[in-house]
Formats: sequence, C-alpha cells, structure tokens
Amino acid sequence: MAGAIIENMSTKKLVILGVILMLFQAFSFMVGGLIAPSPTAAVSYLATKCVDNEKTHHKNPKWFTPWGPDQCSKIKDFDEAMVKKIEANNIVFAIHIPPPNTEMSTWFQFLLLILHFDIAFKIQNQIADGASITIDVRLAYRDDKLSEWTQMAHSVEQRKLSCNFTAAKTIENEGRLYDCDLLPFMELGSVAHKYYLLNVRLPVNERKKVNIGIGEINDMRLVGIHQNGGFTKVWFAMKTFLTPSVLIIMIWYWKRITQMTRPPVLLEKVIFALGISMTFINIPVEWFSVGFDWTWMLLFGDIRQGIFYAMLLSFWIIFCGEHLMDQTERNRFSVYWKQVIPIVFGSFCLFIFDMCERGVQLKNPFYSIWASDVGTELAMAFIIVAGICACLYFLFLCFMVFQVFRNISGKRSCLPAMTKARRLHYEGLIFRFKFLMLVTLACAAMTVIFFIISQVSEGHWLWGGHTVQVNSAFFTGIYGMWNLYVFALMFLYAPSHKRYGDEQSSADQAGNSGEDTQLTTTITHVDGPTEIYKMTGKEAQE
Amino acid sequence: MCTGLPRTACPLRLIALCILLSHAAAYFGLTGREPLVFLPGPFANEPTNGKAHLKQCEQMTLTRRQKRLCRREPGLAETLRESVRLSLLECRYQFRNERWNCSMDGRGSLLKRGFKETAFLLAVSSAALSHALAKACSSGRMERCTCDDSPGLQHREAWQWGVCGDNLKYSTKFLKKFLGQKRVSKDLRAQIDAHNINVGIRAVKSGLKTTCKCHGVSGSCAVRTCWKQLSPFQDTGHLLKYRYDTAVRVHSVTNSATGETELAGPRRHSITLPRPRPTELVFLEESPSFCRPSRYSPGTAGRPCSKDTSCSSLCCGRGYNTALRLTTLSCHCQVRWCCHVECQTCLREEEVYTCKKH
Repeated sequence: MAGAIIENMSTKKLVILGVILMLFQAFSFMVGGLIAPSPTAAVSYLATKCVDNEKTHHKNPKWFTPWGPDQCSKIKDFDEAMVKKIEANNIVFAIHIPPPNTEMSTWFQFLLLILHFDIAFKIQNQIADGASITIDVRLAYRDDKLSEWTQMAHSVEQRKLSCNFTAAKTIENEGRLYDCDLLPFMELGSVAHKYYLLNVRLPVNERKKVNIGIGEINDMRLVGIHQNGGFTKVWFAMKTFLTPSVLIIMIWYWKRITQMTRPPVLLEKVIFALGISMTFINIPVEWFSVGFDWTWMLLFGDIRQGIFYAMLLSFWIIFCGEHLMDQTERNRFSVYWKQVIPIVFGSFCLFIFDMCERGVQLKNPFYSIWASDVGTELAMAFIIVAGICACLYFLFLCFMVFQVFRNISGKRSCLPAMTKARRLHYEGLIFRFKFLMLVTLACAAMTVIFFIISQVSEGHWLWGGHTVQVNSAFFTGIYGMWNLYVFALMFLYAPSHKRYGDEQSSADQAGNSGEDTQLTTTITHVDGPTEIYKMTGKEAQE
Repeated sequence: MCTGLPRTACPLRLIALCILLSHAAAYFGLTGREPLVFLPGPFANEPTNGKAHLKQCEQMTLTRRQKRLCRREPGLAETLRESVRLSLLECRYQFRNERWNCSMDGRGSLLKRGFKETAFLLAVSSAALSHALAKACSSGRMERCTCDDSPGLQHREAWQWGVCGDNLKYSTKFLKKFLGQKRVSKDLRAQIDAHNINVGIRAVKSGLKTTCKCHGVSGSCAVRTCWKQLSPFQDTGHLLKYRYDTAVRVHSVTNSATGETELAGPRRHSITLPRPRPTELVFLEESPSFCRPSRYSPGTAGRPCSKDTSCSSLCCGRGYNTALRLTTLSCHCQVRWCCHVECQTCLREEEVYTCKKH
C-alpha cells in the first residue's frame, strides 16, 4: 500500500480529528441514553376464557373479543365450565392487542408474542412425560373500533410442554402451579394495523391423543414485545444522518483512488467494500415500513447486518495479511481463501437458520423452528457449525496478528541499516498497522463491555435526576461507533497525494534491485510524519 | 370452596367479609348499617351492555369517593369481588390449622381491635386487591392501566413513544387512591392500619419475578427484553403468614421535634427500638387465646384436627374425641382437559378427631 494520509498527517491534525470523532461518539451515546426510551416494551396479556355456544362454528369464524362493546360471554374458571357442561372445543381464549385505550403503531416495527400456561398440579390429572400441546389459533386485525375483524393468519401448532413441579406431589399441594418454560408463540415482522385479536382453542381429541395429558390448564398468558415508537424514531433519524456521511466519504475515497496512476491495490478495494456494506446497513429503508406493510423488513435487516459483519471480519484478515512485510504473495484475494472460507460458511449457516425461522414466519407467524424435534436439531446444528467457524476465524486472526508482530519486531532490528526510502516505507507500514490494531481493539472492547452491561443491568440508570436508558445508549452508541470506525478508516487510509522526490534515495534504489518488489515509488517527506510516527521510528531503531 | 353449604351461602359470606373489612380500614366503606345484597354470584350470566358496572357499584358498600372511582372504571366492581374471594380463600387456607381459622364469626369485633389477626386481615386484603387489579389489567377488564395520568391524546402518544409503566405500578397507585391513604393521620390505630396495608402491597411486589427473553438477529441476545411477572397468590399468602408469625408489637412515642405521634418498636430493658421495618406486620394488643367462644371467635370446640400434629395445640389441652366415619371419595379418575371427569366411587372408613368442649 502506498503512503496513506495517516502517515503524512501532522500530530496536530490527527489529534483534532480524534477529538472530533470522540465528540460524535459521545453524542451518539447520549442520543440513545437521554432522548430515546428503552428499545423494547413488554406488555402482559391474560387471556379471557370465552364460550362458543354455536355448533356450526366452522363456516364463518366468529370472532370473540375479551372486552369492549361486543365482548364474548365468559367463564371465570373451568369449574364453572364443568358445571355448565361446556366442552373443551367450545372454549376460546381471547386476547386483544393492545390493552384498552391504546393503539398499535407502525413505529413498533415488530410484534413478538411469548406464551405461558398456568397449569395447576392435580394428582388425578398430571402432565404426561414429553407432553405436547396442540394450539388452534387465529389472528385477526381491524383498523377502527367499529369495523369487522379480518383474519390474517390461521394455524394449528404444537408446542412441547416443559414443566417442573418443585414441591412434593401430595394432596396438600394440589392447586399449586407448575413451573413451566416460556413457549414461542408468534412473531409479526410489521405492525401495520391498530388492533389485533387472537382466538386460541385447545381442541381435545381422545382417539388421536390430541391435548391429552396436558394437566389442568387454568390460564393462558401472553407477553407482547414490540419496539418502542420513540426508540424507532431516534434510530431512523440516526440512520438518516449517517447514510450521507458515510456515502460522501466513500465517494471522496473512490476519487482519491481513481486519481492515482496505478490500479487500486487489494486493501484499498476491501476498504471500499467495507464502506459499501456500511452504507447498505445505514440506508433507512425502514422508513417504508411506516407507510407500507412489508413484513420482510426484519429479515432484510438481519441480512444486511450479516453482510456487514462478514465484510468487517474479512477486512481484518486481509489487513493483517497485507502488512506481513516479507510475504511475497500479496495483493491478490486468492491468497486469503483459507481464512475467508470460515467467515463465508459461518455466515451462510446463520443465514439459512434465519431463513428457516424468520423466513417461514413471513407466511405463518406462529411457526417456530424450536417447536419440533427435527427443527430443534437442525437449528442447533446450524448454530454449532457457525460457532465452530467463528472459533476457526478467531484462531486464524490471532495467528496472523502474531505473525505480523513477529515480522515487525524482526524488521525493527534491520531498520537502521536500510536505505532511507526502505526505512520510511517499513516505518509507515508499522505505524499503519499499530494504529488500526489499537483502534479496532478499542471498538471491539467497547462493544463487548456494553453488551455485558446491557445484559446485567435493569436497562436504565438514574443519574442526577435524569433517567439514562443504558440499553438504548448501547444500541445508538455502538452503532455510531462502527460508523465512525469505517469513516475514519476510509479517511485516514486513503492514498496520500503528497509526493516528494529525493534524489539521494533514487540513486540508492539502483543498487538494491533485489528488494524492489517491496517498495513503491512513493516516498514520504521527512518533515511530514507525526510525533507518534517519529517515536515509532525511534523505537524501531532501538 | 364452600363444600356442603348451599350455594346461596357463598355470596353472603363474601358480602359479610366486605362489610367487616370495610369497617376498620375504609377498604370498602359502609353506606349504612344494613348490608346490601351482592349480585347473585359468579355463576350468573353477566349482562354485556356497557353500563352494567354502574348497577354493581351501587350495590356494594363503598364510600362516596370509592363509588365515584367504581363508576368511572367499568371493570373495578368485578375486580373488587374477585379480590374479596381471593383474600378469603387464602386466609382460610393459611389458618386452617390454627385456633383462629379466619372464621367470619366475630370478625366485626376483631377489626375493632389491634390484634395480630387484624393486621393479617388488612394485609391479605390489600395484597389480594393489588393482585386482582394487576390481573384485571392483564386481561383488559380495567380500561386505564397504563399512563393513567395522561389525558386521551397524550396518553396515546406516551404509549407509542414507550414510557408507559407496567401493570403493578398502576395497580399500587390506584390501590392507595382507592383506600384513601393520602391523609397522614395522627391516630395511632390509623397509622398501624396503613402500615399493615402497605405490608400487603409490598408482599405482592416482592413476589414479582423478572423474566427475560432474547430476541434479535438469529435469536441471539443482541436484544433482550425483560418484564415482571406476578407470583401465584398462594405464594403471597404464604409470605404474609410468615409475616404474621413474626409480627411486632408496637406502642406510640411522641416525637419531641415535631410533636407528632409515631410508631416505635417493642420496649426491652427500657431501650426503645427504632420504628418497625416496612415489611413487618405490627399490632397493638396481644391476641386472646381463641380457645373458648367469645365475641372474637367461636372457639375450637368441635374443630377437626390431626391426632399427631395439631390436636394438642388446637384443642387447648382439653383433649379430643375420636369417631369412625364412613367416607365416600372419588378414585380411579379419568380426567380430560378442561371439563370432563369420570371417577369411580370408593368407600373408606377413617378415624376423625375433633376437639372436646370445655
């Protein structure tokens, strides 16, 4: 790689640029922490037990609403159903989303529903081992409180019950609830309507063993998770601001490359590709979800993130490889296929897994890959293979970093004996590599630290009267940080346009034709390097 | 629940509990000395027209302010009845092996005194109402459950932005509003009652379990959402029984700085302990023995007991009678969710022990 801007930039300018980037970084954290609400909201819904008195309920499905003007006739518990001789197939669990006096909004982006059963322990009616529950569920929507419900999904699903009874199974403990795992229920990739209605039946068929041995179900609870509208607005605004910023630096970077007389080297191409993938993830196509009912937006976002991460990981490998100073084979992508294959394969496995889960949910929102044994095994297989690829990649990356550092320490001892041109060249390589290594480690550490904080904390701190949303700060801060990373990368590692001929070094070149393949015609000026650069050079000489 | 009793007895018991509970703590206010009749019961088909709750509110014995709250919130009447049922069942279960077994006889006199049992009744009632309100919010029976302080449009905007709280936060706030706990009374008894009501509310809060779900890219933990989940009310009842067993007797102390009366802990060796903790039930007077019939309880004569475990304490040393009884019970049941049970009938001869009369 020819001399980059970072080598020729003065210390003063480099510090100024760093401070500006730090200010933007702090600002992106504060936008999430102070302006936005928490990223998601969870609302608990307790299903109402409605009674379907009609015998021919399969012709036109009647919709049962739990509250409101046309609410259904209800029972409080199943003792009441037993007294009234109501059968299981005539019980409908009804859930209205959202709660009274509220409306769903397209700003909520997705709706994830989690299912939990309250099952009471009865000696005569225990949960069979490996019990599976069959759920006949319909989903409807409407957009004002007076219109009819329109069906948008219907499915018969099975979920495996996984329940523990922690107390002793005695008559004394009858009526206590089992401790049951949460079950995935539904995921909508968009929230295009104001009101949703779920009608759930647990049909019983003794001959087919449908819903036999599921214990004494008292209640059905759902938890609805959606993105908060305020967080969505802040997120969209951030994306809308970042897209032109990265796009402009990308265009500028490409102009710098094309202005040179030589074709771009591999590293320059990879940096440009990284900018493209960052722009791809930035483009706020989500704005369309506010106006259109595009349920694939979640899946599209996942794909874009996958592309960016694959590109970033590949860039790190190639950056290390191109800074192996004694490597004779370079500037060709084929040199790195061994290291890049784990990235591509791991990403591909995760992509297939995501298609099997979210892709299928585009058609059937109640589908869950974890609901069946085959699905669970397939999902685990994909995740394990992706994990193995990640470990392989990490080992390769560590090995290459180790090689580069060993190469650097080897070169340092030779630096004083080199000609001026060769010494400046190697010093530039060393400085470029160390700088990027430091910045990358800082960004990765910041991401991991904030991930851990968001896992451990409650999600918000009280700070001098202000509420700081840690989780929102994490999302906007880390997202802004990686944008600044790519921005700084393209700016600092663009080719420098400073060219200075040195007659003395030109004369020396003639006598060292054996090492010409390592050198370029660009020679950096002695007065240009930063203080850090000079210190690096001194250190190398010692 | 009410085995062996005619069905009409159930709502009457609920009514009595409402009236008696309301006397002490303004839980349900008395509008007159004559008890009003409840709706027929949980098995009645409730009318589905929008103003059914207005009639229900009028039929309950509430203060004027409570009735106004009840009329404004359609689901409140049903929730109040549910909370009474919940507290009664739990109280009877927790005290099934005690001399005082949460009997409704003598409850009126009990609520006038500062016994441990009075403290428990206040706590279990407020806990049941808090629990029932949270459940009513989850099922949509209460209309204003989140951001209730915002008027209509601001309420909707707050909901969409994402700053609404959870159900229990609302139910706690509503509960204190309903019970009228805003006034700080100088009366010692009122302070004790308010303290015990808060113990009940705290018991429900401490039973909240935080549950989290990871959802994000490929189900990774990039995004994780947590929510609070109510414990079953049995757990709350169990905790309150423990609070009852470890209740603290208090007396009044005049704060020399402010001149107000404050609660203070038990006096031991002439050292006054600091005020009781917010999680401790407090009482003023030692309880009677509940062994003999009195205005507080019908006594333990005739109470069934377990020979090895509870007869000695339950019968107060009077001994117990032994009788043989032929019992029919269900056995070899085949149960199908939700509403189908087929059982055979088995006969069993068992010894029954009851406490002797004095």
